[in-house]
Amino acid sequence: MRKLFAVPIAFLALMTCEISFSQGYQVNFQGQKQQGMGLAGTAIYMDGSSLFFNPGSVAFSNENSINIAVTPISGNTLFVDSTTSQGYRSNSPIGTPFSAYGLFQLKDHAKLKLGIAAYTPFGSTVTYEDNWIGRFALTKLQLKAIFIQPTFSYRIADVIGIGGGFVISTGDVVLEKDIPVQFSNGEFASASLSGSALGFGYNLGIHYDLTKKLSIGLSYRSRIEMSVNDGDATFNVPESLDPNFPDSTFSGSLPLPQVLTLGVAYKANKQLTFVLDINRVGWKAYDTLSFDYALNTESLEDTKSPRMYKSTFAFRAGGSYDFSSGLSLRLGGGFGFSPVQNGYITPETPDNDRWYGTGGIGYIFGDHFSMDATFYYTQMTRTGHNMETGLSGTFETKAIAGGLGLIYKW
Amino acid sequence: MMVISACMPKYEAPEHDAGETNSTSFVMVGGTFASGYTDDALFKYGQEHSIASYIQQSLNSVNPSSFNQPYVDDGSVGLSSSGLSRLILGYKTDCLNETSLSPIRETSMGDANVLNNVYNGVPYNNMSIPSLRSGDFFNSDYSNQNPYFGRMSSSQTATVDEDISAVNATLFSVFLGLDDFMPFIKSGTRSDSLPDLNTFENNYRQLLETLTANGAKGVISTIPDITSAPYFTTVGWNDLLLDSANNSTLNSIYNPLEFYFTEGYNPFMIEDPAANAFGVRPIEEGELILLSVPLDSVKCYKMGTIFPFRNEFILTNPELQEIRTHLDLINNIIRSLALEFNLGLVEAEEFFNNINSGFPFNGINMGTAFISGGAYGLDGIRFNARTNALFANEFIKSINQKYNASYPMVNATNLDAAFFP
Repeated sequence: MRKLFAVPIAFLALMTCEISFSQGYQVNFQGQKQQGMGLAGTAIYMDGSSLFFNPGSVAFSNENSINIAVTPISGNTLFVDSTTSQGYRSNSPIGTPFSAYGLFQLKDHAKLKLGIAAYTPFGSTVTYEDNWIGRFALTKLQLKAIFIQPTFSYRIADVIGIGGGFVISTGDVVLEKDIPVQFSNGEFASASLSGSALGFGYNLGIHYDLTKKLSIGLSYRSRIEMSVNDGDATFNVPESLDPNFPDSTFSGSLPLPQVLTLGVAYKANKQLTFVLDINRVGWKAYDTLSFDYALNTESLEDTKSPRMYKSTFAFRAGGSYDFSSGLSLRLGGGFGFSPVQNGYITPETPDNDRWYGTGGIGYIFGDHFSMDATFYYTQMTRTGHNMETGLSGTFETKAIAGGLGLIYKW
Repeated sequence: MMVISACMPKYEAPEHDAGETNSTSFVMVGGTFASGYTDDALFKYGQEHSIASYIQQSLNSVNPSSFNQPYVDDGSVGLSSSGLSRLILGYKTDCLNETSLSPIRETSMGDANVLNNVYNGVPYNNMSIPSLRSGDFFNSDYSNQNPYFGRMSSSQTATVDEDISAVNATLFSVFLGLDDFMPFIKSGTRSDSLPDLNTFENNYRQLLETLTANGAKGVISTIPDITSAPYFTTVGWNDLLLDSANNSTLNSIYNPLEFYFTEGYNPFMIEDPAANAFGVRPIEEGELILLSVPLDSVKCYKMGTIFPFRNEFILTNPELQEIRTHLDLINNIIRSLALEFNLGLVEAEEFFNNINSGFPFNGINMGTAFISGGAYGLDGIRFNARTNALFANEFIKSINQKYNASYPMVNATNLDAAFFP
């Protein structure tokens, strides 16, 4: 048992770099078992995390459970400027996507399950080293969104479960960059925009056991518009330019795109399970990043930065082998297309199509406790430019994550 | 450790290669623009951020070598061609008692010590001299005629050509010819004249013969149309904003000449002897008002309206046509000399056009707006440090291309533009 504990602890100790994110600013760490199997699992009931993956699958549970997990992720981006060939690194902090699920069944209504979920499906924190060549495009972006999702699930037939949840999303955003005007000592001015956002949406799912071995699941998580009103816009500029850059408030919004997922699960035998998920992510919603300042001046106009994301597919698959001792081993991987088009590459999301690999291990300790740990790795390289800022070069990102989850059920 | 390195992309520094060049001894020949003269003065900061300094910075990454410039003393306020100090951004109160941010002289007088000869026996690698023209190379009295050369010449009778020879350059760059145009352009074509084509060609050729005598490699640059700089474009032709009262006054004066004004924006009035018996007319679109106009007179004393702008403050369309046509001819000479001497060529016009049309540079919006455009210095004619470095990159690109070299481009992003109080 000591050995088993040592594995996840080693994972955590390896978190040396910082955050990256999945496609766009999406984060796909919502369940340790799914993470072990390539982030797939929409067509199978896993544990409380199915409240996120497919509320319909939850109807097939037969337990009360509390489930918490965290997946520290550390990514590191190197930007090599195409003109000077100079390299600059991100120095972002470790990201800590987490999830917490509570799943309950009523004794008198065995077909109905109720749940509450809290998770972080979008977010990223990216900071770049001081004086980096893209400082006038971005020095820091911090985006956090926590979704709270009360959910019901109902088994309408022996082989069919449906479910739905209402999503309240709260979050905050911080965006900082330098401004290309200088103080008398040569220091560059800077801008900081920060605010909290609120949004609402829903999560629907259906689960269908085609045969004893084969099941399919379909889930739809709606787009959520995260709106910031009365955010703080502060400008650190030379005194003579204070009238040009008045501290004020701003409003803006960021779309968190809809995700439609079709999943298939196949239980080859008692031990061996395979899962496949196909995501369609509605990134097309993110066409412009706008900031509307309460006070405009000749130097400070409202901005509309084109992002022109396109909707994408992602393919995720994996398998699990459950030993009779209570030990499970999991392996998976996937491929995701990038929503970021050429000409619109930004330091916020230096994204590209990518492969990733995952692995996981689980262990059941008696009747109530179980634990899962995972590992995730991806890397990508994106060369191109941004038409708005003129920044041009190659972003190379490597990200590694280790997750740990605990479940108590009764 | 293995995993740590696995999540850190590896940076591979590019190899830089001198190709067919030998950068042991680099010399730049030019005029005001390349000397480091900016913010309307020669001072040390400008020299340290000159085009030549940035080219040398790139060359140093392959082969570090000494680079000697005739520096003005640290802390000196510099000296303009009219004896004034450099410009800085400060507050100025105009005739309407309105205080605003504006270029002002740092001190009431320039630093005359700038003109003390600083030559210490070592030839200068930046042989760019404020106001240097193609006709000045072989003038043994030039040290006396141009004090900016006097301060750096190896002797009172040395010619520019001799001092260039003394560098024994192995690699050179030339940005010459703008000063052949400048007095003519800046005077609204009232004084001086355009350079004679044959004389320009002969002088330029002789300079190149001097530079290539020992087999040195080099690049030369065409001349930009400087009339797109903020000095010529900041006061717009139709920036005359009239209220009802001023509108009536002007109409009562000028209606007999069949010039009509309306409330709102109107063209300024200029002197033009050819226009009519009174020699006045409204300025036309495309014609330029120089920043040398006394702005207080415009704001408070009816200059440009009741008292039309004198021609020394104006470049009319025919004048601009004449300048631009001549510029094309001069640039064709430079291009053919590049071929004749098998040298690299920098198309400065393309670079300036890029700046003038505005382009995003690593999040900086470069353009010609006065000061806020981020490209030009406070004099509205010469570049700031950032743009000097970008222009230096054009020379480096040309060297790389012509001589199969791979000198690095200078990172201009963090370089200075203007300092705000």
